[in-house]
Amino acid sequence: MNNIILDNTPLFILTQVVSMLYIVTTILYGAHFFKDSQSAKKYKQPALVLTVLTHLVYLGLLTSIAGYRIGYSTFNIMTMVALTLTTTYFFIEFTTKSDKTGFFVIAFATGAELISSIMTAQTSSTSPSFTGIGMGVHLIAAIFGFSAIAIAGLYSFLYLLLFRQIQRNRFELLFQRLPNLEVLERLIMHAVAFGFIFLSVTLFAGMVEQNATGGVINISDPKLVTLGLIWLIYGTSIFIRPLLGWDIKHMAYLLIFLFVFITLLITLMAVFSPTFHSISL
Amino acid sequence: MNIISVGVNHKTAPIEIRERISLSEVQNKEFITGLISGGLAHEAMVLSTCNRTELYVVPAMHEVTGEYLKDYIISFRDARKDVRPEHFFSRFYCGTARHLFEVSSAIDSLILGEGQILGQVKEAYRIAAEVQAAGILITRLCHTAFSVAKKVKTKTKIMEGAVSVSYAAVELAQKIFSNLSMKKILLVGAGETGELAAKHMFAKNARNIVITNRTQSKAEALAEELGTNRVLPFESYKEHLHEFDIIITAVSTKDYIITEADMHGAMQKRRLKPVIILDLGLPRNADPEIGKLQNMFLKDIDALKHIIDKNLERRSLELPKVHSIIDEELVAFGQWINTLKVRPTIVDLQSKFIEIKEKELERYRYKVSEEELRRMEHLTDRIMKKILHHPIKMLKAPISTSDNMPSRVDLVRNVFDLEEPNQSH
Repeated sequence: MNNIILDNTPLFILTQVVSMLYIVTTILYGAHFFKDSQSAKKYKQPALVLTVLTHLVYLGLLTSIAGYRIGYSTFNIMTMVALTLTTTYFFIEFTTKSDKTGFFVIAFATGAELISSIMTAQTSSTSPSFTGIGMGVHLIAAIFGFSAIAIAGLYSFLYLLLFRQIQRNRFELLFQRLPNLEVLERLIMHAVAFGFIFLSVTLFAGMVEQNATGGVINISDPKLVTLGLIWLIYGTSIFIRPLLGWDIKHMAYLLIFLFVFITLLITLMAVFSPTFHSISL
Repeated sequence: MNIISVGVNHKTAPIEIRERISLSEVQNKEFITGLISGGLAHEAMVLSTCNRTELYVVPAMHEVTGEYLKDYIISFRDARKDVRPEHFFSRFYCGTARHLFEVSSAIDSLILGEGQILGQVKEAYRIAAEVQAAGILITRLCHTAFSVAKKVKTKTKIMEGAVSVSYAAVELAQKIFSNLSMKKILLVGAGETGELAAKHMFAKNARNIVITNRTQSKAEALAEELGTNRVLPFESYKEHLHEFDIIITAVSTKDYIITEADMHGAMQKRRLKPVIILDLGLPRNADPEIGKLQNMFLKDIDALKHIIDKNLERRSLELPKVHSIIDEELVAFGQWINTLKVRPTIVDLQSKFIEIKEKELERYRYKVSEEELRRMEHLTDRIMKKILHHPIKMLKAPISTSDNMPSRVDLVRNVFDLEEPNQSH
């Protein structure tokens, strides 16, 4: 069987270790959030740092096989998304000193990483790797763009959850532990702004790369249409409040919808298509 | 050596009894001075608050029991008609220590974890110390109680969360807005409830507080006290509702002072920016229909009581941690009490050896030079310390129960032929 994971013992072990670390970190963040466990509070940050570092080592080893170029299979994209999410959250936690939303972000990253490692282990061929700086920028921006979309979606979900808790006088655990509505709103708006910037770069770099390789841009390509539509919605949502008088609650519904839609799209592509784009090898 | 505590509190007696027994600072001093000067107690302290009056006494004679002290305070307050011994609790020795630790930690309070009691215990100790009624035992007991309270405050969440309506209102506002200093607040009604809520808001850095009240002068007085100096005429405040992020109402009125129509218009002008109305009035001041408006949070006293209930529930979950801190300190306090029991024996032992040393050195005083005598004295001191080190260490060693203490003391006294100790404090 020709499989890069199964044929490479250190890589196989690292895959398991990274997955386990993600699970452990999620459990620690969950135990602190839901049970207020003091030992979980003590060990969750070191676990997060260890997870990110181990994941970086894993990616280094994985890409070294293809001459330090990352294959743009959906599974590779998903593992990159997991890393980007945890890194982004790590940055949020250390800059805002708020560790109250970690469980929700890291749990999603763990899901992405687990799917990635399981599917990669089952794939019997290596995916095509990108060449050229344009494709590199396109890929990295797409990963960061999706991470921003995921964070905006997750924080929108938390915003609505807390909003309803307050409306219904349910002053339970979530009311106690989550940051206040204004902080969540700020995080959502920042994530949307970053998402829009990265999606713009993704689109632009993709077109440049397509031109450079002499390919013809097919504007009826469903992936391109979908990406364009998402980019447009994100761009509009930044200005939607002052323009239409929309409140953050309605925006939150839209952002959750987009997040779920894009996640489903990526998952479906992971099942039915090995790559995002047709490649002439 | 015993320490007795007797008293009435919210658990043992109704409020009228507690009122009847309570002591002012002057009466407190008079009471404990009487106990000490009458030869009834070596040490005494009285903790008297709105919810409790408790005596902590180190008796000077066997006749001074819990029952005696109950009777003594009843007669001191001339309350035989109203107050009976059954209204009191009694504690002895470690029970007394545990009780004071629980009181200081605010787990014995009417409102679990309330923050005032520690200050009141410190005040009681200050009064006792002022009249020289706080000796070694009460001083140690109180300082241990303060240390327990500090540990409880830092290591547990027994004091976290709002337990008053006005503070719960602030807690709720902080769950919606991140920075109260950036928010505009309207206070409708400058009565006691409104004033308290405004002061809590002010304590959380809210500075943009505008006050309106039927009696303009009252609003101006509160605004001046808060340092905001911003007042709106009661007749026209509704025209400005859209300007405020937080509206606190605390007015005595039968009708709603803020209607759904008022807020609907205000929300349109605000472009649906969230607003929280904290209705602290009873009957309610704001039409409940307002709560159905988009981005509007309307919270009345019942809703705020939900927060208080949840906070109290959470506080009660911390009780095992508090008890474990108290148990730990109680063991250490018990060990210290035990060392007090051996102190006379240690003193006698050291005195006996010093006496022997001096007698023996006296025999050589005129047989050796001054320098040699000094050396001999130095040598005997060192030998004496080394011989005494182990017996003293054994006497001071921690024990699991005080039952072993007399046998240890007797053993040392017999071995070293010490005279019987007198039973003074």
